[in-house]
Amino acid sequence: MGLVTPSSTGNDTEQKPLTPRVDSLDGKHIGLYDNGKPAAEPLLTAVQEMLAERYPDATFEWYHVEHLNQIKNDEEQAAVTEWAEDVDVAIGAIGDCGSCTKFLTWGIEFIEDAGTPGVGLIDEGFELDYQSNAVERGRPLRYKKTPVRCETTDLERVREEVTDEVLDGIVDELTRPLNDKERADPVAQ
Amino acid sequence: MSQQSPDEQSLAEINQSLYEDGLTDGLPVIPPTDERVDEMLRGTDKPRDHVLGDLGNNENVITVEQLASNAVMAGCLPTYMPVLEAGIRALADPDSNSIQFSVSTGSWAYQWVVNGPVREALDIETSSGAFGPSFHANQTIPRALGIAYRNTAKIYPGEKDMGVMGNPFKFSFLAGENQDASPWEPYHVTNGYDEEDSTISLSGPNGWVQWFPDENNAENVLRNMIENTPTSMRASSGEDLNATITHFFNPYNAEELEKEDLSKQEVKEYLVENSYRTLDGYEEPRDDTGKVPPRQTQQYADTDAINIIAVGGPGRVNAIAGTSIGGPVTKKIEFPDNWDALLDEYALEENWVPTEGFYD
Repeated sequence: MGLVTPSSTGNDTEQKPLTPRVDSLDGKHIGLYDNGKPAAEPLLTAVQEMLAERYPDATFEWYHVEHLNQIKNDEEQAAVTEWAEDVDVAIGAIGDCGSCTKFLTWGIEFIEDAGTPGVGLIDEGFELDYQSNAVERGRPLRYKKTPVRCETTDLERVREEVTDEVLDGIVDELTRPLNDKERADPVAQ
Repeated sequence: MSQQSPDEQSLAEINQSLYEDGLTDGLPVIPPTDERVDEMLRGTDKPRDHVLGDLGNNENVITVEQLASNAVMAGCLPTYMPVLEAGIRALADPDSNSIQFSVSTGSWAYQWVVNGPVREALDIETSSGAFGPSFHANQTIPRALGIAYRNTAKIYPGEKDMGVMGNPFKFSFLAGENQDASPWEPYHVTNGYDEEDSTISLSGPNGWVQWFPDENNAENVLRNMIENTPTSMRASSGEDLNATITHFFNPYNAEELEKEDLSKQEVKEYLVENSYRTLDGYEEPRDDTGKVPPRQTQQYADTDAINIIAVGGPGRVNAIAGTSIGGPVTKKIEFPDNWDALLDEYALEENWVPTEGFYD
């Protein structure tokens, strides 16, 4: 006699590779993916301002999910992927609560589906949440922790908190070559 | 789980193993042995591998057998299986929004309301203390549904369930509607079911407020209901987010409203027309007209965002549960062929009131 497992089985999602990164953001068409949370737009605005200063030849294109929950709809998901096909890289925000972190990984996943390297910006308290959802989605999606706390929408405050270190990190996630796990190569035991 | 057979393990060891694997709610559980799960499956006609639905991020399937295993752990009786199956169908319904409210920082709870004849058949409490402890079905059914969701969707506090505070109601929030004492049509009839149907309804609120009127009459009930609803509770029905508030009325106060010929719909309309919240100074107008922003806005956008349900016993205390970002969804409970025999076999008696019958 044994115990009947109460949990679901087959949860080990096969991991797909990440999209190869770009060499540099210089001259690139950079996507800014707003997942519908209030803090997403000010954070991405501050990031765009700093990127524009650092890469004067870069161009930008936004995608706004009007309401956070719309990413659950097939049409919205397809629209994100279609949008991402036209940008060279994409930066998504923000993971600063349970459901929005989940849905941010969905958005970054659809961006990667388009063959575009993506990175999600998260409140540092939601790192494990992002990792768990990403792995469950089937990719070790990249992210950058920011000091911007949940629901902070004051653009001036956000500008102060998005430092050069934060920007360096975002750039690194979009340009650092993939490792074995991210290429979904078999990892040596 | 441990590879050691249950025969070789003590109750404490099995509980420790299940806890370490994240399969419990933190309280002791009854080990889901093959024998106990087989017995639980007597409560359904469906095969054990029947898929009841998909739950969570990865749409993990939950079978009848997995549900039965969770039901055993939670202490359910086999007769609760029909209610549990309907509850899982409610959780799996995309309209429940369980995928969001199960993990959100708002620490939302699974709010269950049972209607119809099944309440009496299973002794699901509807009167005094219905939402509180003591009642076997009221406590074990939501517990089983809660841990079944967690074990299927594989969400853990601080990992994917990011509820900041947690919610003491999360796995224990169930009552039957007090249809017998209610002057209104039952909640499931309002939702389109026949009175003889048995149903279970799911919402996902994170707040709970109890209040009572200054005077036991309709005017004070309505006025105080509005005054006691926190302005942080805001309701509007919609496709992207269905935000609702449930008002649980005790039978006394419901009766006062009915005396004034106020139907449930009219009470809802009164709430929509008279509930306002003050707008904060920093809220910007939502248009580009440049007009001075209004000072207040409706707390309830429409009557569809309000649920009215009669629960509780004698007294004048009412309750408000909200804002819910889940459901509401209602599912019909389907019974196995051997239902009546099972009820006889698994009946529970409540012989705990020492003075009951003393004055006969």
